[in-house]
Amino acid sequence: MKDTVVRVSDLGVTYAGTPAIADLDFSVTRGEFVSVVGPSGCGKSTMLNVLSGLLEPTYGSVSVNGRVLYSSGEPLPRLGYVFQTHRLLPWKTVRQNLELVLSAAGVPRQQWSERIERLLDVLQISEFAETWPMRLSGGQRLRVSIARALVIEPSYILMDEPLSTLDEVTARTMRQELSSIVAKTGSTVIFVTHSIREAVFLADRLIILTRGPARVFEERIIDIERPRLYEDARIGQIEAEVVEKVLGAWGLDEPRKEAV
Amino acid sequence: MSATEASSQPMPVSTPSRARRAFWSGSGAGSRWLGAGIALALIMVLWFFLAEHLRPWVPGPLQTFQVMGRELASADLYRDVLVTWERLLLAFLASTLIGTVIGIAIGLDKRVEAFFQPLLALMLAVPDPVYIIFAILGLGTGEMAGLVALTLAVMPFVANIVRTSVQARDTSLDEMARVYQVRRWRIFTSTLLPQLVPALITAGRFSFALSWKIVILVEALAQPTGIGARIYNDFSMLRMSEAFAVAIMFTVLMQIVERVVLRQLESRALRWRS
Repeated sequence: MKDTVVRVSDLGVTYAGTPAIADLDFSVTRGEFVSVVGPSGCGKSTMLNVLSGLLEPTYGSVSVNGRVLYSSGEPLPRLGYVFQTHRLLPWKTVRQNLELVLSAAGVPRQQWSERIERLLDVLQISEFAETWPMRLSGGQRLRVSIARALVIEPSYILMDEPLSTLDEVTARTMRQELSSIVAKTGSTVIFVTHSIREAVFLADRLIILTRGPARVFEERIIDIERPRLYEDARIGQIEAEVVEKVLGAWGLDEPRKEAV
Repeated sequence: MSATEASSQPMPVSTPSRARRAFWSGSGAGSRWLGAGIALALIMVLWFFLAEHLRPWVPGPLQTFQVMGRELASADLYRDVLVTWERLLLAFLASTLIGTVIGIAIGLDKRVEAFFQPLLALMLAVPDPVYIIFAILGLGTGEMAGLVALTLAVMPFVANIVRTSVQARDTSLDEMARVYQVRRWRIFTSTLLPQLVPALITAGRFSFALSWKIVILVEALAQPTGIGARIYNDFSMLRMSEAFAVAIMFTVLMQIVERVVLRQLESRALRWRS
């Protein structure tokens, strides 16, 4: 049996009396790619803030490799985060952006070069090591952002709609590559997206959240062998089934009922 | 090649026509030089006119240029420039440094802002000569009076520019750094300070431009040496050509420092943007 990396237990976050997350429960095992989908404003960002150590929950707990986050004296686990807008430091070259997180993670300096070269090679951006992020395309910036998350060999990686700012053609290529990079590195990933098809395509398991406050509405294993094709009919079929289920749960079927 | 083919070919844009368009749109270097040339010519015409009508208070350009040549050959001028330059550099550094530190503290902490904001508003409202007079009254006519007056006059502007920039910074980068557990000091040096560079440069240029003018004023009022004192002495002795020549030369020198040195620094610091 695979060991659990992230365990979210009975998690709740309340902002000024309004619950953003309520009784959220799920876990992620080592090397698993979990996609989380939910309607806008359901509390996905709040969940990511809790999982990234930025926001202490109102109740419940998050444990990583058996250690409870936010408990006194416990250091935060090493985690990677691929943001929607990449958040690379524009005044640092690609290499310097990676060195910043390596230094923060306490990785010995003699390992930096080897790690950076290897990852840039995997992500096919070796020639941009000394380039400023502003000179890179959206797809290349995303690759750098993924490299930054992977270079510290984190316990888990959070991804917050990282493909949403790309054009569809680049996004398709990047989905395919993301899937293969994650498979190559064996990373544990929690991937948040609005796109159900994208979620199904990438994930080993899909977690569907309710309309806010966020709870787990349903979990579904995606048992399609890898490598996958984005146009695979089975992915389309799962997407259709999920859409059918969530329409009611997310309150999106009222217009349909009215039309009938 | 047929006529149809020829008409479908893009017309090659000749370099002269591109240069002409750039010139008339004002984006070319030629139009900028022309603009500067016209402005300079107008200043000279105005100068001739004033010299003609306000003699002996306004000396003529030719007479002034002759004096400039004489002054440039004298060691006294360089000694005074050096003295003024030292004072200016010291005051510029002090006001920029103190203003930056206060600006960052105000920008980061609401309590510090609550304390400093009314104080800065008051300091900004006080006319520069008031600082000079009070500094001389309190500290005498020594070097310290000038330094204090200058720092008090310039510092609030710098603090204000820096504070605005700190408050307008991209906090998502701070958040990224916190997620990756970058230490506080490193967050400050890697994410906050680089974001302030454009504001620091603006503050630096502003501070420099204001500082040298105030230094001249302080020297004229309270110092026996320096360019300001020399201009004041020449003026008192009605040596208007000398006063004009020295003032013009020092202004040109400051413009060169401002436009060449500070702009070079700016383009180096912001090269990642290009």
